[in-house]
Amino acid sequence: MSSDHLNWLRVKFRRLLRRGQQETELDTEMQFHFDQLTEEYRASGLSEHDARLAARRDFGATDAYREETRDTWRPAALADLWRSILFAIRSLARSPGFTFVAIITLTLGIGANTSMFSIVNGIMLKPLPYADSHKMDRIYRATAADPTGGVAPADLSHLKSELASYGEIASYVYSDMSLSEPGQPAQMADALRVSSNFFSVFATQPHLGRAFQPTEEIEGNHRVLVISNRMWRNRFGSRDDIIGHTVRINGEPNEIVGVMPESFNDWRYMGWVDVFRPLGLSPAEITDQERKIMNLVGRRAPDVTADEGAQLIAGFGIRLAQDFPASNSESSWRQVSLDVLKAGERSHLILAMLVGLSGFVLLIACSNLANLLLARTMARAREFAVRAALGASRSQLIRPLMIEATLLALVGGVGAVMVALAAHQWLATRSTGDNGEQVVFILDWTVMAWASLASLATAIAFGIAPALFAMRLDLNQTLKSGSRGTTGNRGQQKLRNLLIIGQFALAMVLLTGATLFIRGLDDLNNRRSGWESDQLVTGTFLLPEANYGDTEKITAFQRLTLERLQALPGVDSASVAHHQPFLHWPSTRRLWIEGHDLPAAGHEPAALLNGVSPAYFETVETSLLTGRAFKESDTAKSTAVYIINESMARGLFGDESPIGRRLASAVGDIPAWGEIVGVAADVKSIFPEATPVTFQIYRPMTQSAQHLNQLAVRTSGIAPSAVVESIRSVMTELDPDLPLNQLQPANTTIARANYQLGVLRDMLSSFAVLGLALAALGIYGVIARTVALRTSEFGIRLALGAQVNDIIRLVLSSGTRLALYGAALGLVGAFGISKLLGTAFPNMAIERGPVLLTTTVVLIAVALLASYLPARKAAKISPTEALRAE
Amino acid sequence: MEKVRKELLQGTLDLLILKALSTGSLHGWDISKRIAVVSKDRLSLKQGSLYPALHRLEGWAWIAAEWGVSDAGRSAKFYRLTNPGRTQLEAEKEHWLSFASAMANVLNMEEAL
Repeated sequence: MSSDHLNWLRVKFRRLLRRGQQETELDTEMQFHFDQLTEEYRASGLSEHDARLAARRDFGATDAYREETRDTWRPAALADLWRSILFAIRSLARSPGFTFVAIITLTLGIGANTSMFSIVNGIMLKPLPYADSHKMDRIYRATAADPTGGVAPADLSHLKSELASYGEIASYVYSDMSLSEPGQPAQMADALRVSSNFFSVFATQPHLGRAFQPTEEIEGNHRVLVISNRMWRNRFGSRDDIIGHTVRINGEPNEIVGVMPESFNDWRYMGWVDVFRPLGLSPAEITDQERKIMNLVGRRAPDVTADEGAQLIAGFGIRLAQDFPASNSESSWRQVSLDVLKAGERSHLILAMLVGLSGFVLLIACSNLANLLLARTMARAREFAVRAALGASRSQLIRPLMIEATLLALVGGVGAVMVALAAHQWLATRSTGDNGEQVVFILDWTVMAWASLASLATAIAFGIAPALFAMRLDLNQTLKSGSRGTTGNRGQQKLRNLLIIGQFALAMVLLTGATLFIRGLDDLNNRRSGWESDQLVTGTFLLPEANYGDTEKITAFQRLTLERLQALPGVDSASVAHHQPFLHWPSTRRLWIEGHDLPAAGHEPAALLNGVSPAYFETVETSLLTGRAFKESDTAKSTAVYIINESMARGLFGDESPIGRRLASAVGDIPAWGEIVGVAADVKSIFPEATPVTFQIYRPMTQSAQHLNQLAVRTSGIAPSAVVESIRSVMTELDPDLPLNQLQPANTTIARANYQLGVLRDMLSSFAVLGLALAALGIYGVIARTVALRTSEFGIRLALGAQVNDIIRLVLSSGTRLALYGAALGLVGAFGISKLLGTAFPNMAIERGPVLLTTTVVLIAVALLASYLPARKAAKISPTEALRAE
Repeated sequence: MEKVRKELLQGTLDLLILKALSTGSLHGWDISKRIAVVSKDRLSLKQGSLYPALHRLEGWAWIAAEWGVSDAGRSAKFYRLTNPGRTQLEAEKEHWLSFASAMANVLNMEEAL
């Protein structure tokens, strides 16, 4: 390389990176020349002042030459681009109103989209914290009543022997437990009993200590614990000497042998569990074929694909049904990838819907901007025509428009990231789980990339319409048509109207979706379906097995507790039950009905089961339609009795009275008949998921005692929150080791139960409000412009005798017509979204008819309002002035 | 002699600079003096316009620059012709002369006929 080349490289390098030095050097260089010139004139006899003047004249416009020199430092295209950008900035700054509206529109539009993307990113795209999680599946025994049912322990031993080729399968059982230590209040913990290979299937080993050993699965060896990182931190202050520490679980001493790593707290899967215990099944439990309590999670062998795995599982289900028809004929086996389940099977649909709707907001924003920019370009038609006439090429004409659009979009993109940050903050606060674990959506570079991509796409989308307009400009026409801008020809008018119609169609979908959801959720939260939650306090307590080993002890404690609670001032009645009326009743029973034909095994009618104390129906206000409630005299030793719900009474006995009829659990060979003594009203939960089983049965607590108890206390005359503390002190007095959870007014529990739906509702509502506001802004802009451009026409009309009202009607109808077309078009989408919501939330009331009517009315009202302002302006036109202005 | 019209023909300034530098390295002031002297003041230009041209030529590597000290003892930027610059000067010169003679032929056509 010659020295010339090296030198040249140095020049280029300095021009690129040493801008400041370049500037100083140029100044020095030019100053030197100027000084020499001045000196020469002074030497020729001019005064100092005149010499300077003369030199300045000879040297020329210094600043212009400096700028020109700077241009030579930039690559030619860049210099051009830079000039265009400066030009665009100046031109945007000249119309600050337009610029402000455009940037706000974009910020909100792209912001909604970016926030949605960050959520999808956090839920779906972020991998689960288990190695090779794509090889993991949940395995279900699906029935008509429960597509995600568990399996019986007995099935598990068949499964293990037959599915060795599948890979490794771990099992676990949900089992809440009480955890206590001397000197500390007892607490209830979310817990699982797990098989010893559980942690290896999740490919996660404890952070401290060890996992379980196979021998610990056997009852008697099972008193060891692995605790979550969260519990280690919150309850044990992250002590290093935690391993070997003993705590009481359900009243029995258990040794902590392991602490899970932080990553296992991931809210999307096992994050809610705080305590893991070995299965510890008794020999009787291991051979149980009835209780489908085991949940399965598998890790496929490296050479088994998802399809092969699914075939193996399904095939096993078919064989099981053939071999054991009594307990398996109605079920099939299936697997669902853990990746699909990350955030719940249902959430795919909801997320897709939200992404789509946030896209609608962005589309409305885009078309709004297209309209704004189009109007702006039309107003500048003369400028474009002149430039075209002076020989500007097409690209030279379009470039400033595209650059303006891109600049706006970029600023909007920056705003969008800030919106996403705010939304992220809001979501993190709103979606904190009951255990304090935050649902975290990371804002990482993928989110930033999305924001910039969305901005760019937006710029292209809304920049193209005005660019096309500028390209088709008819020079002659434009230059002739006076000094004002142009309304545009019929085609352009049509395009702008189409954009408005599209906006209203999208707004219709957004508004319908949000309204349906708001009303649906409202219905869930205010549902009083077979129960009444005002004046009700509810809570959960768990009787430790070690101290309450048998039904007698449990019943004695329940009776004593309820007596004491009932005696509290302000308490009307108190009861305990397996389940609260407004929450899920997860346990089902298959039933034989005396006097009915015996159905094939596995095809018996199924009912949801609740066990309740005598005062239950009075406490929760589930009305008894016929017969009697349970009594103190219904005990474990007296005749078994049932109360059934209305649907079951009608479904099984028709018009006959069910009182005195007998039914039995379809278990074993000899039916243990119990007598129906009453019929209660149907009870509906507050959850949006449908319960496929509509039959409900109740048994007396004394005949179905269990350790986990749901307490309900009805107050009268005082607020439910006022008795919470006295209830707690009564319970603590009776048993200081008893963990009492979620003791609070029932309405608090209900409001909390659907908090995730609340988040969803707020998102849908903000999308709808945004979309509607943008659409209103859009129609206002278009109508206002039309009015401004038709001023002289209106003037002529008025001069010819038209009434002011005629003019107002003319303007209003043009706006409303657009909104109506939009709403009609949007009906299709609105219908679609109502179907979608109905599928996703079957137990939610979706009142399509009235909502569609309401949203249509709202849309037209908004359009009327938005066109009313320009209409009023049109009405104030003075004919003489309007005509003179022409 | 009359002054040539003030606006220099596009591209001629580059050629003038290259020519002025063909005998050695000069700073901007000297270049403008040299052009004025050699053209007998008939080619007048706004002297400031020299600088964009100098920087443009430097960017094309036809000339190279170095800081030095002027006769008056002040620091000044000296430009010199590079090898590519010299080649360019020859080519431009050829092109210009043939263009000029062609133009002369055309303009004298009537008299020759």
